[in-house]
Amino acid sequence: MSFAGIKNAWQNLIWPWRPESNREAGSGIVANFLLHWFPNRVSLRSLAFSSSLYLGTITFVVFLVLAVTGVVLMFLYVPSVERAYWSIKDLDFAISFGWLLRRLHRISAHLMVALVFLHMFRVFLTGSYKSGEIVRSARPLNWVIGVTLLVLTLLLSFTGYLLPWDQLAFWAITVGTNIAASVPSVGEATRQFLLGGTIIGQPTLIRFYVLHCALLPIALFGLALWHMWRIRKDGGLAIVEQDRQEALTREPATPSKSKTYSVLGIASGTTVQVNDPTTLNEDNSRPSTPFLTVRILLVTLLTIAVSLGLALVVHAPLEAAANPEVTPNPAKAPWYFLGLQEMVGYSALMGGVIIPTLVILGLMLIPFLDREQKGIGVWFTDAAGRNWAVVGFLYGLLTTAGCLALAILAPMRSIFPGIESQAFFDLINPASFLLLLFATQYFVVLKRTKSTRYAAIATFCAFIIAFILLTYTGTSLRGPNWDFYWPWQAWPAHPTGL
Amino acid sequence: MATTDTVNEDVQVHTDPGGETRRGFLGTLTAMAAAVGALLAGWPLFRSLVPNVLYEPPKKFRIGSPEAFQEGVTFLEQHRIYLFRESSDFHAISGICTHLGCTVKFSPFLTPTEETVRQFTFRSLGEFHCPCHGSKFRGEGTNFSGPAPRPLQCYHLELSPATGELVVDVSTEVDRDFRLVV
Repeated sequence: MSFAGIKNAWQNLIWPWRPESNREAGSGIVANFLLHWFPNRVSLRSLAFSSSLYLGTITFVVFLVLAVTGVVLMFLYVPSVERAYWSIKDLDFAISFGWLLRRLHRISAHLMVALVFLHMFRVFLTGSYKSGEIVRSARPLNWVIGVTLLVLTLLLSFTGYLLPWDQLAFWAITVGTNIAASVPSVGEATRQFLLGGTIIGQPTLIRFYVLHCALLPIALFGLALWHMWRIRKDGGLAIVEQDRQEALTREPATPSKSKTYSVLGIASGTTVQVNDPTTLNEDNSRPSTPFLTVRILLVTLLTIAVSLGLALVVHAPLEAAANPEVTPNPAKAPWYFLGLQEMVGYSALMGGVIIPTLVILGLMLIPFLDREQKGIGVWFTDAAGRNWAVVGFLYGLLTTAGCLALAILAPMRSIFPGIESQAFFDLINPASFLLLLFATQYFVVLKRTKSTRYAAIATFCAFIIAFILLTYTGTSLRGPNWDFYWPWQAWPAHPTGL
Repeated sequence: MATTDTVNEDVQVHTDPGGETRRGFLGTLTAMAAAVGALLAGWPLFRSLVPNVLYEPPKKFRIGSPEAFQEGVTFLEQHRIYLFRESSDFHAISGICTHLGCTVKFSPFLTPTEETVRQFTFRSLGEFHCPCHGSKFRGEGTNFSGPAPRPLQCYHLELSPATGELVVDVSTEVDRDFRLVV
C-alpha cells in the first residue's frame, strides 16, 4: 500500500474526531461507534469546568485504570491461603513492575472511593438530582443508580482488602463480617454465608476473590454505563435546565417556508414555528466532537498521570502474614470505614448496621423528599442556600465534636453503671444522638424556611462534616486499645502485654 | 383526533382495572410461572454456596497434661483460649471478644485481688482488654467497659480418659463458676 493509501485510510478512521465543519461533526457522532453515545451538540454550561468539576468522568477513568491493572494482577495473584500472601510479596520483590501495578491498583482504589464521595457531594450541592419542570427527566432515578454505585464501590474496596491475606486484611474482614453478625436473628447465618464456614479461611478467600474480580466489577460496570446513558437521555448535565429556561423566554424564530415539513406530515401548510426548549442552538452550544471529546481526553490523561505520580511516591503497605492468633493493636479498617469503626465502637448494631442502612436509604430518598425545582445545576441553589450550607456545616461540626467528646470523656457504660441490658446501650449512645440531632436539624430548617431544598442542604453539609470528623478521629486520634490520643501524643511502645 | 374516535368504536378495550380478562389472567399466570422457575433455577445456585462439610479445626481438642500448665494464666495462642489454673482447679475463658471477634489481651494485676462481679466472688488475676474497640472484661469474663455486648465465653474442660490430658470443648459453653478439679 502506498503512503497516500495509508494516509487515506488513516483519514477515514479519524475524521469524526476532528471534523472540519458543524455538519461533519454531526455526521461523526452518527458514524463513529465510540462517539455514538454523545449528543450532537453539547451545552456550553455543561462543558464549563465549574458545573461538574468532571468528577464523574475522573471516577470512571480511575475505574478503567483499576480494571486494566486488576486484570494483569489476576494473572499474578493466587487466591489460596498458603500462596496469596507470598504472591503479593512476589509482586513487590520478584516481578518486574509488580510493585507499580500493586501501588497503582491500590492508590486508584482509594482515589475511586474518595472521588465517588466527592462526585456525590457535587451532584447534591448543585441540585442535579432534580427532574426539572420543562421536560420531566429521570434524574432522580439516576441519583438512585449513583448511590448504588457508591455502595458497590465500597463493597469492591472491602472485598479487595482481604486478598493480600496479611494481618490488616484478616482483621479488617474479621471486624467487617462480625458487624454483619450483629443483625438480630439472621446475622450469624449471614456471617457464615459470607465466610463459607464458621471461621475465616480458604472458602472466605475464594468468595471474596470471585466477588472482587467478577461479580462486583461486572455489576458496577453495567450500572455505570446505565448511569452515563441516562445523562445523555436527560439532555446532558442538570445545568442544561438553565439553557431550557432561557429558550422558553426567547422569541420564536421567524417562520420560514419549508417543503420538508409538509412532506413529512409534521405540520400542515408550508411554514413551521419551532421553539423547542430542549434544542441547543449555535449560541449556547458546541459540537460534541471535538469540544467534549478533547476535554474528556485531557481529563483522562491528567487522571492517569496523577494516579501514576501518586503510585510512584505512595507505598503500598503489607503487614505480616495473616495470623488468627494475634490481633494487631490497634486493628483498623481502611480509612473510608474508620468513621464507621468509630461508631461501631459505641454499638455494633447502631453504628455498624442501623446508621449505615439509614444513611444509604436517606441518600436514595433525597430526590423524592426534596421536590423543589429551583436552581437546578446551580451550586447551593442561591445565596440563602449558601447560608444554610454554612449553618449546616457549623452545626455538624459542633454536634459531631460534642458526640465525640461524649464518647471519649464519658462512655455510656460509665454514665449508667447499673444497667446491663445491651439493647439499652444499642439505643442510647453517641451515634444515635448524632442521628437524632441531624433528623431534628432537618425538620427545624424545614419548618423555618418551608423549603425542603434548604433543609436538605443544611443536613447534607452536616453529614459531610460528620463523615470527615468521624473518619479523622478513627484514622488519627485512635491508638492502642482504641484509646484516644492527640496527634502530638506518642503511643505507648508496648501497650499491653501478657 | 377525529380518526382515533372512529377506531375506538370498533375495538373493545377493557379499562376496568378490577375486571379480569383472559389475556390479563394468562399474563399473570405466565409471570407467576416465570417467578417460580427463576426461584427453582436459583435455589441450586444459592444452596451450593452453603457448605455441607467444613474443613475446619475440630471444636474439641487436647491441649496437654494438667501438670504442664503453670499456676495462674496461660494463653493458648493457636486456640485463642486463656487457661486458668488455681492449684488443682482449671477453667478456660475464650480470648475472642464478643463485640467483633478480635483477640483480647490479658492485662495482669500486680497482685491478685478478691473481686465480686454479678454475685460471684473469685480471686482475680487481671482484666481482658480488646485492641479493636477498647472493650474491657473482668478477670472472670464479665464485660464492664466499651462496646462488648456479652461476657467472654467459658468453655467446657474435661480429662481425656485415654491419655489424662486436658480436653477443651469450644462448642460447649459453661457458666463462669465451672471448675475442673484434677
